[in-house]
Amino acid sequence: MTALVANAGPSRWWRSRTMRRFTSHHLALLGVVMITLLTLACVFGPHLLPYDSLYIDLRARFSPPLTGYHYLGTDPLGRDVAARLLMAGRTSLLVAFSAMLLSTMIGTLVGVIAGYRGGWIGAALMRTVDGFLSFPSIFLLLALAAALKPSPAMVTVIVAVTSWMEVARIVEAEVRSLREREFVLAGRMLGLSGAHIMFREILPNAMGPIIVAATLTVAHAILLEAYISFLGYGIQPPLPSWGNMLEGAQQYLDSAPWLAIIPGAAITIAVTSFNFIGDGLRDALDVRDDRV
Amino acid sequence: MTERSNTKSNYSRRDALRLMAIGGAAGLIAPNLLGKPAFAQNPPASPTGRVVVGLSQEPTVFNPLMPHIEADEAVHFSVFDALVRMDPKGVLQPNLVVEVPNQKNGGISEDGLVWRIRLRDDVRWHDGKPFTAEDVKFTLELITNPKFRAWRTAGHSLVRDIKVVSPTELTWRMEEAFAPYQSFLAETFMVPKHILEKEADPNAAAFNQAPVGTGPFKWAQRVAGDHIELVANADYAGEGPYLERLVFKYIPDMTVLYTQFKSGDIDLVDQAFITADHYAEASQLSDRVVKLEPGASVESIYLNLEKPQFKDPAVRQALYAAIDRKAILEALYYGVHKPTETFMPQNSYYYNPNLPAQEFNLERAGQILDEAGWVPGADGIRVKDGVRLSFANSTTSGNHLREQTQQFLQQTFAEIGVEMTISNLPAAVMWGDFWLKSQYESAISGVTNVIAGDPDVSNRLHTKAIVAKGGKGSNTGQYSNPEVDALLEKGARTFDREQRRAIYLRVQEIVRQDLPFLPLFAYTNVFGRKEGLEGFEPNSNTRVASWHAAGWHWKA
Amino acid sequence: MRGFLLNRLSQSLILLLIVSVIGFLVLNLLPGGPLAQFGLDPGMTQDDLERLKEQLGLNRPLLIQYFDWAWRLLQGDWGHSFRDGAPVLAVIGRHVPATLLLMGTSTAIAIAIGTWIGIRGATHRYSVFDYMATVGAMVALSIPTFWFGLVGIYIFSLQLGWLPAGNMYTIGDGSVLNYLHHLIMPSIVLSLVHVAIWSRYMRTATLDAISQDFVKTARAKGLSERRVIMKHVVGNALLPMITLAGVQLPSILTGALVTETVFTWPGMGRLFLDSLGYSDYPVVMGLLMFSAILVILGNLIADIAVAIVDPRIRLG
Repeated sequence: MTALVANAGPSRWWRSRTMRRFTSHHLALLGVVMITLLTLACVFGPHLLPYDSLYIDLRARFSPPLTGYHYLGTDPLGRDVAARLLMAGRTSLLVAFSAMLLSTMIGTLVGVIAGYRGGWIGAALMRTVDGFLSFPSIFLLLALAAALKPSPAMVTVIVAVTSWMEVARIVEAEVRSLREREFVLAGRMLGLSGAHIMFREILPNAMGPIIVAATLTVAHAILLEAYISFLGYGIQPPLPSWGNMLEGAQQYLDSAPWLAIIPGAAITIAVTSFNFIGDGLRDALDVRDDRV
Repeated sequence: MTERSNTKSNYSRRDALRLMAIGGAAGLIAPNLLGKPAFAQNPPASPTGRVVVGLSQEPTVFNPLMPHIEADEAVHFSVFDALVRMDPKGVLQPNLVVEVPNQKNGGISEDGLVWRIRLRDDVRWHDGKPFTAEDVKFTLELITNPKFRAWRTAGHSLVRDIKVVSPTELTWRMEEAFAPYQSFLAETFMVPKHILEKEADPNAAAFNQAPVGTGPFKWAQRVAGDHIELVANADYAGEGPYLERLVFKYIPDMTVLYTQFKSGDIDLVDQAFITADHYAEASQLSDRVVKLEPGASVESIYLNLEKPQFKDPAVRQALYAAIDRKAILEALYYGVHKPTETFMPQNSYYYNPNLPAQEFNLERAGQILDEAGWVPGADGIRVKDGVRLSFANSTTSGNHLREQTQQFLQQTFAEIGVEMTISNLPAAVMWGDFWLKSQYESAISGVTNVIAGDPDVSNRLHTKAIVAKGGKGSNTGQYSNPEVDALLEKGARTFDREQRRAIYLRVQEIVRQDLPFLPLFAYTNVFGRKEGLEGFEPNSNTRVASWHAAGWHWKA
Repeated sequence: MRGFLLNRLSQSLILLLIVSVIGFLVLNLLPGGPLAQFGLDPGMTQDDLERLKEQLGLNRPLLIQYFDWAWRLLQGDWGHSFRDGAPVLAVIGRHVPATLLLMGTSTAIAIAIGTWIGIRGATHRYSVFDYMATVGAMVALSIPTFWFGLVGIYIFSLQLGWLPAGNMYTIGDGSVLNYLHHLIMPSIVLSLVHVAIWSRYMRTATLDAISQDFVKTARAKGLSERRVIMKHVVGNALLPMITLAGVQLPSILTGALVTETVFTWPGMGRLFLDSLGYSDYPVVMGLLMFSAILVILGNLIADIAVAIVDPRIRLG
């Protein structure tokens, strides 16, 4: 009982202090503002633009930015780049966010079990994590992309499956250090089940590092989606994503450089924002600086 | 009917003219020729200079009898010789033989079963050993050696009882008459018996990494992942070489390939060539010769005819009418490629130029579907007997020009109530079982249907070539037409050029009518080379531009 | 120490086993396979493809293929490439120098610049420089490498024409200058991320060192600030960097992969992508094992370095 109270008490206090620290982190606030603006643009922007992202008009192909109402120009099929960029943002952000949820869940589950159980189960799980980390990530990405039909859901799975290990490691270390703490021992003496202790008692106390890792995973996931779609194995046309907008852009680098520059800039802005937020959260949540 | 008989008379007149021209030329050139190009202007007395050829795939297989890709053949043609050579006009010329065996000169018996080959007596391997009939026997036997990982065995598997009559003469028997084998020999490079017979495992022979041939260039060195360097073979039996060094440079990116051509780092662009979108700019470059040359491949939409959507000929006709080919070719492909109605390369002797031309007409397409009973459902997609007119289209992922074509087609097809989705796969997946065992619904593919210039397309169109139905071949669209089958069988047994031509012209007519696949265009390759590089000749009967580097030289 | 090594060795073997099993399974269960490249070859019949499958041993049960491969590996036989028939180790060995050159150069750049930024950031904490370095590092880590490479090519090759768009050298020109000219862009692109990482770590390590007692003592002895920093702080901060270098060792293969692709650099990353594209199983497996061994070595180096630096940590 005391454990539960002790658990709930500090949690409320942590919240306010965290908020105060986070809001004093200028870069993190900048990140939040940029992501909010980007999300709003992606949600409402396409309705405000005069062109549909899928409308093909070969007569207008390769119009440079600021041609008529094509604010960001057109692509090789004469589609409006601005409309595609915002629709692509929906896809890319959704995929990255879902992949983050999925990989955080996998990573947390593996990490909590490995850290709490320890012993051979823990060792087996953590060696599997090491095994996954020993693969060049591009191998797993391409192999999975070849095996699965490349729908947005599958791309989400592919990205998640190749990025859960970091979370698992962080959570495992955290849980292992919490395992012998008083509130856990108390829970055990009260006869609470292993699952209850793992997920109701320990996990809430390990939330800080998980949140930070999750934020950084969003950034990572955006980059991964971009890379596999850039190679043509990710999101399939005509559905735009930031990555597949870059596909083929290399070919037109000389004649239509905006095709490469615009989506790349969008990716960089989104990823930077999430990294800023992650950094702010790390400071605010007092998480040790293990990653950069 | 009238139209057809008209075209027939046309053919025969033109045929006669063409035959005279070819026969005459062959007669004149044959005796003294080892592939001497008629236009070689003042080549240097001794090999000088260097040519760097850019390839977008890396040559890695140097034993020409082992499984390889196009890029490897650039090296094979320079290091090795075959018995015969297919010239740019599609006529066989002697290479290691004294004369091309045929039924008229007695090289092939009347029934097509006994072959007699007479070899040149002045050919030597790069290590100085003489080339003899024993080497030919060894080569042909190695191909069918079950322990050896051979490339194509079609035709070779029919060869029996190879007998060496003298160092310059040998004979063999064919299990059955097979006319395409004449052409296949043009892609069968001879390997040295005295080196390979000593190897316990020919698959892992040192020879495979440092080949020894009879060709105009000798192996010098390979920097893996980067380039291959060859040096002139001063003792080459044939004409040339005029270059001291020949380098094949691997540049995996098409844009970089072009950039390097532009900057002058490479002298000639081979396999995969200059991309269509760079053609306009490339042709303006000074000191560069950039030309469009017809290729052998045809880009088509392949339909899996066993899918219920495609069984109805009306659907295939309607889809064909709904392709805005002009827009695709002019806008997406910069007007480089040419429209075509057939699988046959346009400069092939067997090409049928009189097929009805496709016309883009959405109204007509809709009408065809209406008449055939395909009516739009609630979602606007046509339905007939419970079958929705909806299908997936696949091709190699990352091929963005094809992806653009797909998206463009998707939009036009939607206008006639046809739904096409895009589902692309990595090359290694796409062209594996997915393609070979007809697991796709529809696919866009650029296919070379002829082998070494021979018109036999049984492998693509014969019923027995459907793997999904237990056949052996690559008729992946599962096309089956008894009349075509009969014609193809007859064509493979027929050695006479004119008779064969009539057969394959008819095959093309039927296939155009049946539309088992929808032809998009015939590939035209953008060849580029530095000005002053002379003796270069394109040849659509070979898979690489470097089929005859022996004749290349720099203008003095 | 011996106990530690034995323990490490057994763990490493288990790791290699896991990697080889997963790698082999994933690779072989992919649709397509090494013969797909001949799917469009007009002259290859189904007979030919099936014959090749048998000759390559690909029609055997997967388990037998795996044990055959593993057994040969234990005897030192890494197999032969399906493509050029050369031994796998030779194939890998041919591509190592190009990657080492690229990685070496960019690591040198990263260490030089990263260390300087890190130390300056730490000694001028919360200055404008420090702030800019922090932001810069985070932005650098957020730029997609392949895109950064493309932008570089656009500006410096296509627009300005200063630098080559790809390749390691011009054919026929083997001069050092020519190599350097080709090295500039890929090594800078590749070092971007590493500069960011190194500068962040160096900053933290320097801050840690500054707060230590011996630095205070050195200051108390009246040494100039510059000497204190150069001699005591940097010396102590650099040691943990070895750990980082160890952890980064595996990225020799993967780190350069994207850069090698964009700049058509003939290294291991290109080899990996090409081999994967052609489903050249023996070479891909060889590279996977190679990369796993690098991971193990890297971690080992890191651990030993930590133990040397910090006597409180005992190996064992």
